[in-house]
Amino acid sequence: MAFLQTQAVVKDFGKLRAVNSVTLDIRKGDVHAIIGPNGAGKSTYFNLITGYHRIDSGKVLFQDEEITKLPSYRRCKLGITRSFQITSIYPKLTVYEGVLMAILAHRKASLHFFSSAKKYFKEDVWRLLEDVGLEDQANAQGDSISHGDKKRLELAITLGTEPELLLLDEPTCGMSPEETETTITLINKLSQVRGLTILFTEHDMGVVFGIAKRISVLHQGTLIADGDPEAVRASEEVQKVYLGGAA
Amino acid sequence: MEQHRVEKQASWLKWKWWLILFLIAFFIAPFILTEFYLTILCEALVMSLLALSFNLLFGYMGQLSFGQAAFYGLGGYTVALLVTKLHFNFWLSMIAGVLVAGLIGLIIGYFCVRLRGIYFSILTLAFGQLLFFIIYKWHNFTGGDDGIQGVFPPEYLKSPTAYYYFILIVFLLSAFVLWRLVHSPFGQIMKGMRENSVRTEFLGIHIARYQLITFVIAAALAGLAGAIWVPFYRSVAPFYLMWIKSGEPVMAAILGGPSTFYGPILGMFIMTFFHAWVLAFTHFWPVIMGTLILIVIFLLPGGILGFAQEKLRGRRSKGT
Amino acid sequence: MSFDVIFNQFMSGIARGALLFLVASGLSLTFGVLRVLNFAHGSLYMLGAFISYSLWKYLLIPVVGFYVAAVLAALIMGGVGILIEFFLLRRLYSRGWPEQLLATYAIVLIITDIVKWCWGGEFLSIPRPKPFAGAVFLFGFPFPSYNFFIIILGLALVIFLWWLVYKTRLGDIIRAAAHDREMVSALGIPIPWLFTWIFMLGSMIAGLSGAASAPYGAIALGMDIDIIVECFAVVVIGGMGSLPGTLLGSFIVGQVYSFGIMYKPELALAFIFIVMAVVLIIRPWGIFGKPER
Repeated sequence: MAFLQTQAVVKDFGKLRAVNSVTLDIRKGDVHAIIGPNGAGKSTYFNLITGYHRIDSGKVLFQDEEITKLPSYRRCKLGITRSFQITSIYPKLTVYEGVLMAILAHRKASLHFFSSAKKYFKEDVWRLLEDVGLEDQANAQGDSISHGDKKRLELAITLGTEPELLLLDEPTCGMSPEETETTITLINKLSQVRGLTILFTEHDMGVVFGIAKRISVLHQGTLIADGDPEAVRASEEVQKVYLGGAA
Repeated sequence: MEQHRVEKQASWLKWKWWLILFLIAFFIAPFILTEFYLTILCEALVMSLLALSFNLLFGYMGQLSFGQAAFYGLGGYTVALLVTKLHFNFWLSMIAGVLVAGLIGLIIGYFCVRLRGIYFSILTLAFGQLLFFIIYKWHNFTGGDDGIQGVFPPEYLKSPTAYYYFILIVFLLSAFVLWRLVHSPFGQIMKGMRENSVRTEFLGIHIARYQLITFVIAAALAGLAGAIWVPFYRSVAPFYLMWIKSGEPVMAAILGGPSTFYGPILGMFIMTFFHAWVLAFTHFWPVIMGTLILIVIFLLPGGILGFAQEKLRGRRSKGT
Repeated sequence: MSFDVIFNQFMSGIARGALLFLVASGLSLTFGVLRVLNFAHGSLYMLGAFISYSLWKYLLIPVVGFYVAAVLAALIMGGVGILIEFFLLRRLYSRGWPEQLLATYAIVLIITDIVKWCWGGEFLSIPRPKPFAGAVFLFGFPFPSYNFFIIILGLALVIFLWWLVYKTRLGDIIRAAAHDREMVSALGIPIPWLFTWIFMLGSMIAGLSGAASAPYGAIALGMDIDIIVECFAVVVIGGMGSLPGTLLGSFIVGQVYSFGIMYKPELALAFIFIVMAVVLIIRPWGIFGKPER
């Protein structure tokens, strides 16, 4: 049984076909990378899975249930959460408040009207902050922390919704080598310790081949390769696409 | 972190003293002020509720509503109609006023929350005008242009002093409930929708639904303001629902500071007394409101309390 | 309900739709390029109407008095538009939409009192100018010839805007700026100048429509809000930021109003809202609009 399945999903922007009939299975527990040159449609594909864009044709199934027509907030409730390429956090709220927001939303405390929000889920917030290493910055304002910290904050926020499938859009984008190392360790921990299924896009091939169990390659919206890292690395098509010119 | 917690406690203590001082001042006001000023104070308190209802949507949720006066007017008309035409119990009429405003808020809000930003704002104006238009034209039922007169509170509330205390208590209770609301988990989600609605949506929050809940609460609060005002003033008229009236809570909130809880109250107090003064020599109030709005936008962004907050923050960071 | 009555109402609806299109197109234009919804567009419309009235009354030009007044009013409102854009809006482009909306809202408040101060609270109107002073008979019912003038004016505007937006270099710039402001600026086109120009054009259209409405109906306080609410219904129904959408929306609202008046005059506005509500449920981005995501 595939954990997440897209069946021939298509997304057009006017005359441009951004995602061209992509059929892909993602297995439960995998760390699965989606790679491809710029403009390959990776982020758009993510947007289709998470409900950010409407699908023009095709289906998306999660745990054998069709979610094609579901709005994004419903998909999140089913267990699909994502981070964005341009880090999406709460700039004017503190780090603590950002993580609290996710937990309040997930644990159905969002319709509590009278008690003080500060009293809720303190342990859970601190645990998440420790997991990503941000406990020292708990009171810092979201837009005042470093770029790498913002990405970690977004990760903590997404984890607050206790997802089963986590989509990370370029998680190490703009990070220094040290920060990248930390993030890789974190992603591995999430996969092995929490058993999360992780789908991510990346440009850094070191990261991709370092942690991915499976790799899919998109080129101009079409899926051109899909399999374990060695097979993909050896594929002629993939080499052609990345290196350009004759194989 | 310990130090930060202590610092927060200190500023909280300071606020408490100010609040107690104000509370005392409000409770002894009838013994100090003449009836004229007491009336203005009543108006300031009632309109502050309206300003708070506006700021629930603006300061806390990030949406501008140009139609709050319509719910204010609905609350007032409900009470007026029930008391004069059906001789309903005063207290039940109050409750009915709030419920009617909330119910209409539910219907209108359902459409408004399907849009965001400027579209939401103009839709609130449009529906507000529609309600004004219906009340204005429905002569047989609402008295049309003439409005409704002879709306009297029960005997024990007829004196200005007695009614003042009634308004004060309703105001304090409502403000308290609102305070709890904006500090609750629901209030956090509201803030989340304002700060980054996409992120909040991707945390599993159905944005339209939560905005609708807030909209209904704001409508009900505005209705409450209208419901308690009309028996004091003894009459209601269609202009209560007009778009110009909707501008007053807008003006008050941005003058006082929409990023704070007390800002709209401060702004409305200033505006109400200023309005009373201006009324002595001119009826051209909209042009004054418009000019003030422009002045605040350009010279005092963030309003009075917002400006004060920035100054305090700057001083605190310079100290460290 | 016989065919001749229906046809008459239909034509009235066309006329009203044409007037709506005159106003709404200016609003769409400014919004499409500047991304500012000019709340005060209705006020410029109202001011244009009142100014054209005074010009007509005091210039006392025989025969073409009204037309001269209309053109002058349009030019004056263009000037007012330049002032508003230059002194107020320009400083707010970097701020968020709330400040922009609040500023234009403030202008509505100010203009409404200016009009009240200058012209008082009465209803005014201009008699229909020759050669549109009489009525034609459509299937036995009198149909004011002036309505044809409005329709012609509307058509002229459609053609003018279509030519401007799709056939001129300025139009290319407009369409490019509507898509990507930074790119256009990077190509060396002075964005501030472009914005002022577009805003001036929108204001002129508002002023002209106001003047055109003077012989059509009454000029009165409150027409600023009334027209902006109807314009908004047009845009919601037809689709945001789409000129064909504005055309379709104007047509629909004009017809709903015309037939609504016939059925129950007080409820005509309510019918428009019902249509708007239906569109908001089925297709919130309007008939010709595109979904945001």
